[in-house]
Amino acid sequence: MDLFNPTEEHLALREMVRDFVEKEVDPQAEHHDREESFNIELFRKVGALGLLGITVDERWGGAGMDATAAVIVHEELSAADPGFCLAFLAHSMLFVNNLSVNGNDEQRARLLPDVCSGKKIGGMCMSEPGAGTDVLGMRTTAVQDGEDWILNGAKMWITNGAVSDTELGDVFLVYANTGGTGGKSLSLFLVEKGMAGFRLGQKIKGKLGVRASTTAELVFDNVRVPACNVVGTQGNAVRSMMRNLEIERLTLAAMSLGIARRSVEVMIRYANERQAFGQPLNRFGQIQRHIAESYAEYMAGRCYVYNTAQNLALDSFGNRTDSDGVKLYCSTMGKNVADRAIQVLGGYGYVAEYQVERLWRDAKLLEIGGGTNEAHQKNMTRDLVGRTILR
Amino acid sequence: MKILVTAKRVTDPNAKLVIDDDGSWIDDDVEYILNPFCENAVECALQLAADHDAETIAVGIGDEEVQRYIRQGALARGIDRGIHVEADEQELDSDLIAKILKALVEKESPDLVVLGKQAVDGDSNQVGQLLAEMLGWPQATFASDVKIEGDEVIVTREVDGGLEKLAVTLPAVITADLRLNDPRYASLAGIMKAKRKPLEELELDDLDLDGEEPKVRVVKLHEPTGRSAGVFVADVDELILKLTTEARVL
Repeated sequence: MDLFNPTEEHLALREMVRDFVEKEVDPQAEHHDREESFNIELFRKVGALGLLGITVDERWGGAGMDATAAVIVHEELSAADPGFCLAFLAHSMLFVNNLSVNGNDEQRARLLPDVCSGKKIGGMCMSEPGAGTDVLGMRTTAVQDGEDWILNGAKMWITNGAVSDTELGDVFLVYANTGGTGGKSLSLFLVEKGMAGFRLGQKIKGKLGVRASTTAELVFDNVRVPACNVVGTQGNAVRSMMRNLEIERLTLAAMSLGIARRSVEVMIRYANERQAFGQPLNRFGQIQRHIAESYAEYMAGRCYVYNTAQNLALDSFGNRTDSDGVKLYCSTMGKNVADRAIQVLGGYGYVAEYQVERLWRDAKLLEIGGGTNEAHQKNMTRDLVGRTILR
Repeated sequence: MKILVTAKRVTDPNAKLVIDDDGSWIDDDVEYILNPFCENAVECALQLAADHDAETIAVGIGDEEVQRYIRQGALARGIDRGIHVEADEQELDSDLIAKILKALVEKESPDLVVLGKQAVDGDSNQVGQLLAEMLGWPQATFASDVKIEGDEVIVTREVDGGLEKLAVTLPAVITADLRLNDPRYASLAGIMKAKRKPLEELELDDLDLDGEEPKVRVVKLHEPTGRSAGVFVADVDELILKLTTEARVL
């Protein structure tokens, strides 16, 4: 066993997912990218394997595994289909893991079994049309009315916000301003499809990449949310947010690992088979540089991600420097490696059949979604400013 | 009801095999998988167990590494328990494997033994047949459909020119073909449970087979000889000449 597969269960998980990916995920990826559509049947199959609740306690229908297991699943799924993997991440990390860590037992018992099985599809709402990195600038509000809360506002870039062009996802964790100042102004609410005033604003179309996941604007128009759907306590949502952002960024970094790994594999295979000037491409120094540097960068990112995963406890926070760091490094690394893969394949790299043009488009999202690289640079520098000696 | 099923580890058909310098065996630093036909056998056992409330046991033979394939290939998919018989794979042939399985059948008294029709490494396709002979049990090989009705197993076999249907009385030996079923993936819950399922470790001595010798030995392994490049001939006369004098096939 090693850093990447620390126990026999981790290795078995990786092999199971890889087998599933080869037979079920790879063959459908190009189609759903082209159609810009979410493969809900495939998502339910992933649910049947028990992967949707990977970090959730067995009591609530999950598998009770750790951050490393979550990283393994994201790396393997993303190697074939980063778009589908992003939908998986938004559901299983941003909703399922978030509620599992931050919700109470009544909420867990009520909602987790259905989202762990894939019967219901979930997501998380933080960004708004006018507020992204500046999260405390959000304008969605929740005002208390008797026992209930009334939500007003709009959320933007919500993965799984729609399951088709017209249909809402099932259940969302929504951050909203409940008054007060600074870090105490945000609270977290469970909003479910069917609540009056909660509707799909628009399904975002024409995305560059991750087109197999849906992205939507969601609108909250006087949505009445019962007290039992408040997650944690009023004004305490920044804490919940911090806990979940670490696993979110770690698994987004794992997606970049999957992109990089597949790109390296495609490069190696092509450079061995393609002949130029009477010999395989891999005899040429320029191509060797692309292959060797890509592999080394992939392995460097991989070591950083798995080492961070090993130290990340799901129910606490305190790893921000490295959970931001893995994503900062791996997102750009994945994009560069996919870019080199296109370069090695030349014209063939530029068309869909060899997959790397899709990986290249998908890779760009990871420099933006779940925290822009600029946000990571800001956070990390703020964390590092007092640490003049690194141990 | 009790069903015994095999879980054999084989070299990954996609892996590049490297032969040891002395040609005695392959370099074991190679990827292994569960034999695909054993996956069909495991799936068959699980489906029968679900319909007939049976206990299922998976057997693997070889060094300690084999345990991983019993656990993750069979127990993680839902087989109840495992048996690992420790043996040196270089000292095994179909006959000795059948003897080991026979000893396990006598120990466990299953109603049905399901094996893969062959393993994709040696492709011998002998163990199921030998086991049935040694036990004096009926056999149905290359099964593409299996149903238990009363004390009989109804097995459909794919044969040249169509399908053959056999009814064999229990206890019986069945070997699975690829089209028998679509093996399930191990679920995550299954992977976690597999660790806690019992896996009995036995040695040949425990089965009174210590000192038993294989009838077939691997004398030497070598790479297939490379093929020389083709040549173009000018006319039929030259072709006949080359086939006669060079290829010596005419």
